[in-house]
Amino acid sequence: MTIDCGAAKTLIEKRADGLLPPGAEKELDAHLSSCRECADEQSRSIAVGRLLRSGIDARAVSAQSGLDMMWTRVRAGIEEKKPIGGVLSRRSWTAFSAGAFALILFALLLYPAGPDQSPFNPKTFDVSVEDVESDIAVVTQLNMGEDLPRVIWIVEDAKS
Amino acid sequence: MPSRSRGLWVFAAFFLLLLCGGSAGFCLAADTIAIDVGSVYASNSGKEIDPSLVHIRGKLEYMFDYSSYRLLDRKRQRLSEGEKNDFELPDKRSMRIKVLFVDEKKVRLYVRIQEKEKKLLGTTLGLSRGGMVLVGGPVYESGVLIFLISAD
Repeated sequence: MTIDCGAAKTLIEKRADGLLPPGAEKELDAHLSSCRECADEQSRSIAVGRLLRSGIDARAVSAQSGLDMMWTRVRAGIEEKKPIGGVLSRRSWTAFSAGAFALILFALLLYPAGPDQSPFNPKTFDVSVEDVESDIAVVTQLNMGEDLPRVIWIVEDAKS
Repeated sequence: MPSRSRGLWVFAAFFLLLLCGGSAGFCLAADTIAIDVGSVYASNSGKEIDPSLVHIRGKLEYMFDYSSYRLLDRKRQRLSEGEKNDFELPDKRSMRIKVLFVDEKKVRLYVRIQEKEKKLLGTTLGLSRGGMVLVGGPVYESGVLIFLISAD
């Protein structure tokens, strides 16, 4: 049983799309061998299909090439920045460490020995009192020995 | 210049700066003295001994007849020869200390305690560095104030 040209064109389109059922191939080939017009139609369809596929492949190749270029640039940028960043960070750390150390040393040298929170711990009680005077109180001195602190005692109106 | 060499140069520069700064700091420390003024409230109310007085607790208890010693305030100031400083004391009193002389071992101070425009005490003291003198007697609440003056 042969098919007519209309059915053959439908099958030609399906073959071009790769959707031709296996059973229909023999019918189509039989019709094409006897119909010059449909055979030409199939040739054109195949040529157009090749052309489209080559265009798609070309675009894919072009896009892939663009992506490769982009990644190449990104990697190059990363590689280029890496050593510069490393040098800067090492330099910064060196400067920072040295500066911090200098500041700590300065603070230790210039700050009075022992913070305010440390207990009173005199090294000696060797004190000489040259003179004492007061406008409003009686002042006496207590010297109870070298091991004890010298005391200046103020008596305010005999209150203390 | 390689980065490692540059880093070494930077470090060397800071090391030199440290040496210069350290020398300057040492000279400054030798010409100045740290004056420490502590205001202690001594009374017979309670038996509290301030932890900051731990090293002189025995001496205070031996010398005075109070059961409680509480540190009210402590001020510290570094002064060089010729400089003076006013230390605020409790009860609107103030203490002016002028450094008359300072060397590596000794210091000479003029101490003046002021109370309401009047001189409560004026004295000239010679202390060894690290020494301490006590000035006490001003009435405060139910006890007295004892000022611990040290120079180091």
